[in-house]
Amino acid sequence: MNENDMTGLAHDGFEPEDLDGHTLDELSAYLDSGRTPVNPSIEQSPGCRIALESLERLQRLSGELLASDTAAEEPADDGWVQGILANIARDARAGRRIPLSTELDRADLGITEGAVRGMIRGAEDAVPGVLVGRTRIDGDVTVPGEPVRIRVDASIAYGRPIPATAEKLRSEIHRRLSAQTTMNVEAIDIAVRDVQRLSEGAEQRG
Amino acid sequence: MTYRNSEVRVDDASDEILLGRAVDGDTGSFAVLVRRYTPMMRAYARRILSGSADVDDVVQDAFISAWQQLHKVQDPKHLKSWLMRITSRKALDRVRSARPQQDLDDVNPPAPVHHDPVRRAEAHAGLEALDRALAQLPDAQRRTWVLREVGGYSYEEISDELGIPTSTVRGLLARARKDIITRMEQWR
Repeated sequence: MNENDMTGLAHDGFEPEDLDGHTLDELSAYLDSGRTPVNPSIEQSPGCRIALESLERLQRLSGELLASDTAAEEPADDGWVQGILANIARDARAGRRIPLSTELDRADLGITEGAVRGMIRGAEDAVPGVLVGRTRIDGDVTVPGEPVRIRVDASIAYGRPIPATAEKLRSEIHRRLSAQTTMNVEAIDIAVRDVQRLSEGAEQRG
Repeated sequence: MTYRNSEVRVDDASDEILLGRAVDGDTGSFAVLVRRYTPMMRAYARRILSGSADVDDVVQDAFISAWQQLHKVQDPKHLKSWLMRITSRKALDRVRSARPQQDLDDVNPPAPVHHDPVRRAEAHAGLEALDRALAQLPDAQRRTWVLREVGGYSYEEISDELGIPTSTVRGLLARARKDIITRMEQWR
């Protein structure tokens, strides 16, 4: 037992005298660099090679640690999730105010950008096999009649024809926006970001 | 049929789709991300904090902060590491506010960490040995090691985060690696 060692560990073989003058820190850096360029002084030292092997083993284990720890954690329960949702500001994403044109002179009607995004997401309810992702509304929507362009990310179920499904989504969004807003929608671009495989749960539901 | 669209489920959506929806204000999609990443964030926070009492508070704070800054995530592939960063920051805030006087470089023997034996029972023997070795490290060493090896922080980032010189980070990390390896060798 090395009495200078406050952690109470026995002499460990990783001191510079065991490593032909090299340090463990130096060996870690050498390992991080992929052992290139080759350092002959390290590679030819038996002490260093033993230490490198130990460091490599530790590195492999370190890479697995988080996944193993994560698997050992309990899944998040509903109370936990609700507790977080109760603490986030739901109105923080209102965005710009979009005016709604009206025949009535004195009426000043408007809708938030956030509400329009919700309306666009809602189109997925009417198109089987689609999830809407991020929605962008380009153009000055705060000025009535200004042309705007809608860009929508989407995910489509595996097996659904992508062009036809995207087209259905496009026309459903157009229908909803025309019915519920007075925006001058110049174009609706759909970008299919991924194809979603059926989950086991969905398969069981048929 | 409760879900309107049985072919695609929000629960199974990619991070990219969920992130986009959450940025647009859809709290339901954010809830799916909370479910998906809570175990990982709890596990990471537990490694940084020596006790487990603050873990849930840290992860909750991290998610609330994440919601406010979601628009800053440029690439959805980085969402996971971005959440890890927020988690470690919140955990370190907790460490700082709990023990403002403690020297980060102290070498006092650590308080024993008790892990649920059942939780660990099935773990790989090597991981179990690593877990035991980590439990015996002084807090400052363990934290530095976790930020580097689990969190992927650079020496400079650890130095910024802990407010200690890079040379101290280097020393803590070298000692941590040496202690871990030595203990693990002894148990083999």
